Amino acid sequence: MELFLARLFDGISSGATYAAIAVALVLIYKATTLINFAQGELAMLGTFVTYVIAVEQGLPVVVSLVLAMVATAVLAAVTERALIRPFDPSNHLPLVIITLGLFLLINALAGMIWGYDPRRFPGIFPADDLYTFGIARLRWYTVGTLVTVVVLLLLLSLLLRKTKIGLAFRAVSSNLESAGLVGVRAGPTLQFGWALAAAVGTLAGVLFVSDPVRQLDPNFAQRVLIFASAAAVLGGLDSLWGALAGGLALGLVESIVVGYVEWIPSQFGLATAVFVLIAVLIIRPEGLFGSKRVERV
Amino acid sequence: MSGTLVEGSSAHRTYRIVTWALFVALAVLVPFWAVQTPSFSIGSSTFTFSLSNLSHGVSYMVAVLGLGLLIGYNGQISLGNSFFMGLGAYITASLVVDNEWPYLLTLLVVIPFTFLVGMLVGIPALRIRGLYLALVTLGLAAVFPALVRHDQVSERTGGANGKRISSDLDAPSWLPLESIAETLAKIPLVGEWAFGEGRLGGREEGAIWVYLLLAAIAGIAFWLTRNLIYSRPGRSIIAIRDNETGAAVSGVNLSVTKTLTFGMSAALGGVAGTMYAMAVQFVAPDVFGVNLAIFLVVGLVVGGVGTLSGAVVGGLVIVFVPLWASQVESVPGVPERFLRGPTGSFFLGVLLIVLTFVLPGGVVYGARRLRSRLVRVQPSRGTAVPDDVIDVQEAAAEGLLSRHDPSRVSGL
Repeated sequence: MELFLARLFDGISSGATYAAIAVALVLIYKATTLINFAQGELAMLGTFVTYVIAVEQGLPVVVSLVLAMVATAVLAAVTERALIRPFDPSNHLPLVIITLGLFLLINALAGMIWGYDPRRFPGIFPADDLYTFGIARLRWYTVGTLVTVVVLLLLLSLLLRKTKIGLAFRAVSSNLESAGLVGVRAGPTLQFGWALAAAVGTLAGVLFVSDPVRQLDPNFAQRVLIFASAAAVLGGLDSLWGALAGGLALGLVESIVVGYVEWIPSQFGLATAVFVLIAVLIIRPEGLFGSKRVERV
Repeated sequence: MSGTLVEGSSAHRTYRIVTWALFVALAVLVPFWAVQTPSFSIGSSTFTFSLSNLSHGVSYMVAVLGLGLLIGYNGQISLGNSFFMGLGAYITASLVVDNEWPYLLTLLVVIPFTFLVGMLVGIPALRIRGLYLALVTLGLAAVFPALVRHDQVSERTGGANGKRISSDLDAPSWLPLESIAETLAKIPLVGEWAFGEGRLGGREEGAIWVYLLLAAIAGIAFWLTRNLIYSRPGRSIIAIRDNETGAAVSGVNLSVTKTLTFGMSAALGGVAGTMYAMAVQFVAPDVFGVNLAIFLVVGLVVGGVGTLSGAVVGGLVIVFVPLWASQVESVPGVPERFLRGPTGSFFLGVLLIVLTFVLPGGVVYGARRLRSRLVRVQPSRGTAVPDDVIDVQEAAAEGLLSRHDPSRVSGL
């Protein structure tokens, strides 16, 4: 029972971070029906920026995080304007290629600047336990991550429902051409979506490496991206709360299924994520909470 | 000075035979030059061009070819060819080391196996399309290193340390490599400059032999793929890319064609893996990860999506851009420790983005446009030349990466 609780807590905390990156993917997908393959790397970059501001400049971690979120949001807005907007959104191939190029470029750039030695990240939550049940420790980190992601989702829902830019965003994501006809400027709205996604991604990256058992290196986001995209697809790629459900489900699958099922070795966490991804896409392509897409022939 | 050739005329035929002969001669003679590891210097940096890198590049050509068949001709955005390349490389490594098979014989296992696995992956790809397929196959590429590191297979795969293949490929004694090298060196004026003294040791002969073997395999792979594209199934493959519904209405069996294309693309990836094992004689898990999957896309885009010859350029780019990037000693204004990092991936990433903007058709289209200023091939009237059809197809392919698709009708 205690082992089960320990695995449950592990699953929740990593699931919440997958959910946070999945939210970033959902934001971009909602706006442009594009999966941003560079999302994980953008989050990694934001995490490194946070690290540099916090450790090398000595600012408080939370302040550094906010600064890094602003910085990556600006970077993403510029990227969207320069590299994404020139292309026809309905033609996927060039957009996939551009985001893959960004993936390679950002990953290599981080490797060139910061090297591959793992670094200890100053956590944003207290390192001790909130409560212990024998060997099962409910850590501040677990609770903090979950609460942060839920608050983030509440704020995002409010933003999308109550503000003008949120309304424009929903209009564009529902129908690009009709939104244009009623005077919504699609370009800046999508740019806003990219900036928002990058800021959310940075937060997610920082949450992920805030776990005292994890360390920061330029490759941490590759694995996270696969989990996050599986989570996003499981939840339904255009559903924000679905991303949370999907993320938690994936985190629990990783820690509980891989932990208990004997014949799945522990290195296969990633493989189970890919398996979930394939299974969802075959059985229920719209995910748990996504809206069904009807194709016109 | 631009000449015009009428398609099918004898002048056109001569032109084609001469250009092909020049290409084959270049491909056969280049190892005798590269075996001396020629180098050139810019500033304080020295860039090398070695035969082993060239052989390595030839193996990537076939992998890019396989990816191009799937993305460029069939329109399925799959990124998983590094997975099949890894599969092929590991099967070859294991059979050669543990079962003492000769390298080429392993192709008899690699080709059917990767073809079948490719078909298995291709079946879900019938329902998973576009971006989702790209996502799933990227996941597949990410999983491969963990698969070969897994405890139950690590005895055969060498686990995290990789597997060294000690079996050497020695040039057969009937092949007079040494005397060819001597003859080449005696060519007046350029002989000694290009081919050195013409003396080859056992290792050099072996390296040339490996290159020639790989070039022959690559030649066969390209020839078969070209025949496939020009054939009736090839037209079905292309029709699916251009308009899936239209293809289905015209009687193309979508699921069979797509699954088979997936299998063939995977088999080409597997062959590329065997070639990689022959060229490098060492396989390691992290070689065949996400980065390679993206490198293959870079090779495809640099060469030209929807062309076959682009894969030749692409394979070389994947090897030589990172190699030369790592040989840069100093760049004004850039800290030296940056240059010791993964500059190769950085340049390939930049190249991928820049080319998509500047030359979406890739190097091959750029070269064709240049060539058309010198030689213009005029289609002869009244003859149904298959090249004609292909030209139209390639014009469509050039639009694959275009920023605005003029033929797209807004779906209202």
